[in-house]
Amino acid sequence: MKQSPVYVAAAGSVSPLGRGLDETEAALRADRAAIGPLEIFSLLHGQPLPVGQVKDLDSSPVPPRAHRLAREAARMVLRGQPEPPDAIVLGCTTGGILTTEELLRKKEHSPDGYRSHGLLSLVEDIANLCRCTGPALTVSTACSSGAVAIALALNLLRTGQARRVLAGGVDSLSRLTYYGFHSLQLVDRNGCRPLDVSRQGLAVAEGAAMLLLTTEQIEQPLACLLGAGLSCDAYHPTAPHPEGKGARAAMQAAIEDAGLAPEDIDYINLHGTGTPDNDLAEARAIAALFASPPQLSSIKGATGHGLAAAGAIEAVVSCLAISRGLVPGTVGCSQPDSAFAFTPEMTCVQRPVRTVLSNSFGFGGNNGSLVFGDLAHKQVRPSSRDAWLAIHGIACLTGKGLLQATFAHLQEGGAAGGCFPDADLAQRLPARLIRRIKRLPRIALLLAGEAQSNTEGQDAPCAVFMGTGWGALSETWDFLQRLESSGEQFSSPTDFVGSVHNSPAGQVAMLLKATAANVTSSGGDYSFEQALLAAQTLLPETGQSAMLLGADEAHAEFTPLLDRSIGAGGLADGGGGLYVNRDREQAKCLARLAYYGRGGGDDLPDRLFAALGGEGYFHRHSVVVFVGVPAAMQAESGPQLERLWQLIGHSLPACRYRDFVGEFASASAVAAVLAAQCIEAGRVPGALIGGADVMLAPESRVLVLGTGQCLTAMEFFCP
Amino acid sequence: MNELIEELKTKLIKLLDLSSLTPAQLDAQARLVGGELGIDSIDVLEMAVMVEQDYGVVINSQEVGEKVFASVASLAAYIESNRAGGAA
Repeated sequence: MKQSPVYVAAAGSVSPLGRGLDETEAALRADRAAIGPLEIFSLLHGQPLPVGQVKDLDSSPVPPRAHRLAREAARMVLRGQPEPPDAIVLGCTTGGILTTEELLRKKEHSPDGYRSHGLLSLVEDIANLCRCTGPALTVSTACSSGAVAIALALNLLRTGQARRVLAGGVDSLSRLTYYGFHSLQLVDRNGCRPLDVSRQGLAVAEGAAMLLLTTEQIEQPLACLLGAGLSCDAYHPTAPHPEGKGARAAMQAAIEDAGLAPEDIDYINLHGTGTPDNDLAEARAIAALFASPPQLSSIKGATGHGLAAAGAIEAVVSCLAISRGLVPGTVGCSQPDSAFAFTPEMTCVQRPVRTVLSNSFGFGGNNGSLVFGDLAHKQVRPSSRDAWLAIHGIACLTGKGLLQATFAHLQEGGAAGGCFPDADLAQRLPARLIRRIKRLPRIALLLAGEAQSNTEGQDAPCAVFMGTGWGALSETWDFLQRLESSGEQFSSPTDFVGSVHNSPAGQVAMLLKATAANVTSSGGDYSFEQALLAAQTLLPETGQSAMLLGADEAHAEFTPLLDRSIGAGGLADGGGGLYVNRDREQAKCLARLAYYGRGGGDDLPDRLFAALGGEGYFHRHSVVVFVGVPAAMQAESGPQLERLWQLIGHSLPACRYRDFVGEFASASAVAAVLAAQCIEAGRVPGALIGGADVMLAPESRVLVLGTGQCLTAMEFFCP
Repeated sequence: MNELIEELKTKLIKLLDLSSLTPAQLDAQARLVGGELGIDSIDVLEMAVMVEQDYGVVINSQEVGEKVFASVASLAAYIESNRAGGAA
């Protein structure tokens, strides 16, 4: 495959600094702090804390504020672009939560109002806006989301899975994050003063920023995206490793990925949140990696901390530094902490910048660093990554229990839907490990431990990829309930920490000491498919294994509001875990995401059929299909399947797996584990497909299809 | 004072999900934070919220927090001397 550098073709930013590149540049050059008292929602009592908010955004609740921020940024980037991107990757932590908070307060019981709660609704909204028919992916790794999304986009381009990707991050202010950071005593009441000796914390902020990345030769790109590095501290849910071990690993990986050495970096855009611990750990990481640090600064004293938007806003600022020749100042810092081995740039200076390292770190010890460069630094990074992953260990959890119990029930023609009892779940995990965590992270830990032990002796994996449709609902619900019931006076810091979508994957990383990439996707019914795509795109060719998880928890009050497929059948939850790497020796099964399309076009089944290899594929392989038809998606799924059967031309043994495992967003993770189990056993139980057992030959395939809003195909086959 | 210590033990076991312990097993003098129970900075914040909500005593600096949450006994003493109508 012909390789090409990755260009930044266009960029857009909506932040407290302003709208667009020119306003952002002007604010940076003026060293303007854009932090002020909270205005966008009212407080029951107390002085509003300083925040970074976007001005002049209308306050209607539909669509939610995050969606409106993202739309503005996307329109900016795509203005004048001749064709839509073929993939989208957006980082986001809280989606439409601001609207959800208001609906919950009004005791709104109809699920209709909550349709824009999830992260899938946000990325699908942007995909519709720009008529993208390829994958529209989510990344939710707390405050590193924006940078991790751009890292995933870079590797989609390098592996040839896309040519033009719209990537970035977005978050709106919300009560959850405003009170959450306050409950952690991480907010500086005097505004944000990164790197200052008397810094006391961050200012929560909002915004959206996106880059159009492409491997196509274009005129006048803003910059080149040279490399990305991801790591996980695997140390603590919120506190960074005191020596900045994970931060250093991410920076080093990004610089190496860019084909550079630390001395080649001209400027470091720090994560620099202004919390005492973050700034110290980051400074130590830099001192360890750079013999003589280059110019560096943090812009968060000007913008505040835009959470998932931060890494994307700062990617745009990195491109501005290169294309317009400026090094931003550290607004808010008046006396740099003498504990650091460097002095930050205090005010914006004009000078040529050829290379930028931009850092983003988040809860869960989740780190992402990006390297941008000018055109002279453009280079081609070879990438020969295989599309498939080798599965060495599997586990699943359903209402009936773990894999063995689940499979036994299914073989006998029973169903395995429902919720595994809380008490039984707790009994299978060490009390100390689960003391502070609720149902979803407990499910994730159980799956990870079981999949690991199922490998029979493989080393613990170093990367974690997880898909969850709705994230940690118990923690989010409990946080908001306590906040409301106490008249906004009290909220639980533990629940806030646990409410981020990547908290379960962070717990798994701590359990397995997994210090490489740690990526959580939250794409509704397609979350596990998104996590599989992230894993097959980001896992290196050699030397690393990963825990790939898909899980959701059923919450008696919250789930029925959010998941429109929950009907008379009742609640179900659970998930699947797969230990994967690139080593096909002794693998149980190989797997790949063969197709991910969206957009409601009539031709999606034709595209899926072509992506698998057309007629020839179905002649060469005997195929068994596990079909995912979310109950709320029957109207969309019906015609998709009808067209697909028409294209295939003959009937295939098929099972609607949600009939067996229940309706929940990551049910496809259970289907994936069952598919891997069938491939390894060489047999699909007749009870699943409504007939006799089907024996699988070496060339057989099990396809796990996702239908509805998106159309997806995961392929499972013998090594 | 002893009554408050017993009350706090029960509350902390529930709040921090130390379900393997009985109040009698939780030593009022033993190191609470950073000790054998695995109690860390997040738990300190959680306890600070409880102390404010249940006793009206605010603990919002790390330095004060470290002293106050050294043990159940030190926490009880701090609440006792700082709550409305207390010894202060």
